[in-house]
Amino acid sequence: MTWVRTKVELERLESGETLEVRVPPGEALENVPRSAREAGHAVAVEGTLIRIVRR
Amino acid sequence: MSGSSRRGFLREIAAAAARRIPDQPPRGDEPMPNPVPLLSDAELERYSRQLVLPEWNELAQLVVRDASVLVIGAGALGSPVASYLAGAGVGRLGIVDSDVVEVSNLHRQHLHFTPDLGVPKVESAAAKLRFLNPEILVETYQVRVDPTNAAGLVEGQDLVVDCSDSFATRYAVNAACCAAGIELVEGGVAGWSGLVMAVQPGRTACYRCAFPAEPVDALTCAQLGVLGPAAGVIGSLQALEALKLLTGTGTPLTGAFLNVDLATAEFVRVHATRRADCPDCAAL
Repeated sequence: MTWVRTKVELERLESGETLEVRVPPGEALENVPRSAREAGHAVAVEGTLIRIVRR
Repeated sequence: MSGSSRRGFLREIAAAAARRIPDQPPRGDEPMPNPVPLLSDAELERYSRQLVLPEWNELAQLVVRDASVLVIGAGALGSPVASYLAGAGVGRLGIVDSDVVEVSNLHRQHLHFTPDLGVPKVESAAAKLRFLNPEILVETYQVRVDPTNAAGLVEGQDLVVDCSDSFATRYAVNAACCAAGIELVEGGVAGWSGLVMAVQPGRTACYRCAFPAEPVDALTCAQLGVLGPAAGVIGSLQALEALKLLTGTGTPLTGAFLNVDLATAEFVRVHATRRADCPDCAAL
């Protein structure tokens, strides 16, 4: 569900806007950056904070 | 307003709401207003497996939620069509069927169970659909569609899915949808084979363009027989086409019909063009 919520939040942003998502260590911390990159967004991860710039 | 233009209007509204920017920037320490959550948390969870699709998004889900779809027939094709559309979140789902549930229906009409014998199919189907998705509105019409009532039934719908079992009904539905400019998904199944066709009236070939006259030797399911999974395949394809037409995702099966032979697992796409003499759509 974390990626679904993230994906929908990204859809609500304009291109170039940044979404910050903090997730607990584990599956979501691996899946969300991977899925965001696969969707073409720019992603940076610092610890448990994921910054996604909408493409 | 036609179905397609109404959906376009809804798409614009939803897109504007999704991009919502406050008219006035917040002053001083005034908090920035939060964007309105267009889909609730419950909706996000319910539809998460389609929302996660790259081709699907919140806007598509909102269009589906705002859509009115009429399913004509609550039998072998209507069961998968109605259950998939209800599951997908079509906000207003109309079900039309004049029959009651019979024991010979049960092998292929999966919305009806043995305790439903004798119950009107529309009521039996609606009860299951409301269990499946209590967030949607299910409306029932226990009538047989014919040329005298088809226009009234399709009026105000965004899309019609014809799951009827006779050429006469299909022609009546096609004519009514063409006259009202309502997109239509046709389907039929008998024996081991079936067909599916999507119609955008005035833009692509309609059912009457593809099949100008009823075959003289047309047999019914009762005469030809039918396997439940064969109906399930055709109905599932119809539901898929309906979702594509509603949301603009994928490529709809228009300007052609899909001929499916499930005995050999062969799917053949047959090109269909608009006919200048079509009594249903030539004037559009």
